[in-house]
Amino acid sequence: MNIRTLIRTQSIVTFAGGFIYPYYLLFLKNLGNSYSKYGLAFAVFTISSAAASQLLSRYVDRHSRRLMLTGSLGLTAAMLCFPWVMSYMAVLVLQIVMGMCNAMQRMSEKALLADETEAGNRGRPIGDYHFWTTATSGGAILAAGYVIDYLTINVLFNVSALLYGISALLTWRRRMNEAS
Amino acid sequence: MRKGIVLLLLTLLSALTYSYTNHSDQDPYLLTDYSRLHPVKVKRIVKGQETEQLVQVVRDAAAQGLKVSIAGQRHSQGGHTYYKDAVVVDMTPFNRVLAIDAAARTVTVQAGATWADVQRSIQPYGLAIRTMQSQNIFTVGGSLSVNAHGRDIRNGSLIKSVLSYRLLMADGRILEVSRTSHSELFPLALGGYGLFGIILDVTLSLTDDEIYRLRVDTVSTEDYIDYFRQNVLGDPNIQMHLARVSVGPDHDLTDMYALNYEIAAETEQDPGLFRLRDNEQWVTPAKALFQLNRLSDAWKDTFWKMQLKVFQGQDGELISRNNAMRSDSDFMETQEPGWNDLLQEYFIPMDEYADFLRDFGSVLKRHEMNLLNITVRYVNKDDEAELSYATEDMFALVCLFRTPLSEQGQEKFGEGIQTVVNQVIAHGGTYYLPYAGYPTKAQLYAAYPKAETFFRLKRKYDPDELFYNGFYEQYGVN
Repeated sequence: MNIRTLIRTQSIVTFAGGFIYPYYLLFLKNLGNSYSKYGLAFAVFTISSAAASQLLSRYVDRHSRRLMLTGSLGLTAAMLCFPWVMSYMAVLVLQIVMGMCNAMQRMSEKALLADETEAGNRGRPIGDYHFWTTATSGGAILAAGYVIDYLTINVLFNVSALLYGISALLTWRRRMNEAS
Repeated sequence: MRKGIVLLLLTLLSALTYSYTNHSDQDPYLLTDYSRLHPVKVKRIVKGQETEQLVQVVRDAAAQGLKVSIAGQRHSQGGHTYYKDAVVVDMTPFNRVLAIDAAARTVTVQAGATWADVQRSIQPYGLAIRTMQSQNIFTVGGSLSVNAHGRDIRNGSLIKSVLSYRLLMADGRILEVSRTSHSELFPLALGGYGLFGIILDVTLSLTDDEIYRLRVDTVSTEDYIDYFRQNVLGDPNIQMHLARVSVGPDHDLTDMYALNYEIAAETEQDPGLFRLRDNEQWVTPAKALFQLNRLSDAWKDTFWKMQLKVFQGQDGELISRNNAMRSDSDFMETQEPGWNDLLQEYFIPMDEYADFLRDFGSVLKRHEMNLLNITVRYVNKDDEAELSYATEDMFALVCLFRTPLSEQGQEKFGEGIQTVVNQVIAHGGTYYLPYAGYPTKAQLYAAYPKAETFFRLKRKYDPDELFYNGFYEQYGVN
């Protein structure tokens, strides 16, 4: 996977994340009357991501693209599930799954960035990477506000699922191309 | 270069969003109600937690010379729940269900509980509420303060199902108010718009939860009165009723459909049907279609046909009383900056209904008012509340208008509403007071002859006018 493809697939991922993330936090906040309950739902995500990293670190050198693909597919599934969730416990389970997917994404993206760049010559590609992934996220956040005003938060979950699915497809196609 | 273009586009989109949302109705540091009209800065918002704390809030405000406004879900639209520089008591955390007496069929509940909270607690006992709004999102205290009514056609307005309540007065005393204790206060604070004190908790009379069969009929507005008398009111099996009037250009206030809830046969009382339904279905497509309805008159006819088809598809379905009282509302939500959908409600004597609609139609055209929806409910005569709207058996027309929130837009819209209210009064009707205060003071006193006594008694029980809000300032102050 070259740096351009990496930027492309990860920009789609950050677009999907930007589309749902700020509003999804509000969605979580509405689940409980207390900030501590909200804090727990959110913390479970990061703790799960931290725990998963220790297991994934064994595979990230050899299977980073596969991890990235799995992460995208997992996030697609989580986004499709969210609108149907009817219990706090189910939210916690989804947060754990999403934390694991997040670790797959973030770790493999770092590994691939390192693989595709040279020490001492990384400034520009990292700058490009950061620009495109954050700019798409900014655009997504702005657009999502309008979508939620005129439609519903469920639309955001579904669009995000679609985008994570597309990023998974692009990663998979690149893997196939490189394998053949 | 590409990056520069992208940054420019993002900056432009941010600037556009800033300008689009830069209306006073969107200011997070100001307080308003569901109408988003007249946002103001309040002194502070205090969450109601405990009775002693509420007493202290009232005493402190009195000592500091501050006004107190009382808020529930803030769905009233006429400034009843806040006032500039006042202490706003947010009653929503004060929401415990205190007691259920299944044998006596009563519930005692704190005022900040929503009807959804009440339904959840009484449903396991096979009980249901007698009278409430069609949706269950409102607080009990808020509903009491506007003396709400709903789909039920046999139980009068909400005041009829109230047995007693505790009222925190301006001097910090807590009174037990009922038809026999402090009886003068009873019909004042119910439908009292937060002016007599803080309703702390209330004991309500309940009825049995039962299974209804939904029957959907279509009828013309001309024939509605006969249809209603014979087929609805005259049929003792029908417990609840709601009708809707077409508002599209091809069916300009001419067509109606009615939803009737008739008691189902014993054999159809499937226990599974009593389970409360929590999830509103199809919100996204319904919301998108309703948005088109806002923007184009032509869509109103299409929306009408689709809505009728959906309800006709439900004809014959079984539904429990509790579930029929938790109707959908999410699809109508709108946060559009500078615009809102506002309700106005008119109570028209039954025999005047068709004539009123004709006059109403011509006012709507003359004033170019964008009417999105009319639902019709029946309220039987109930003049117990001092500010009673049901001075005789009436049809309640709940009208949803789309209106700009700009000063100029509001002025034009307000003129239209005042003309409508003149028609209402000419037809012997009244209008509902929880909505935005477009009617003039003279119109309020014409529609509510007891208003003068009501406001005089407010000052008798609250001589320093501690409990204060936008509604009182507009209509009640001497």
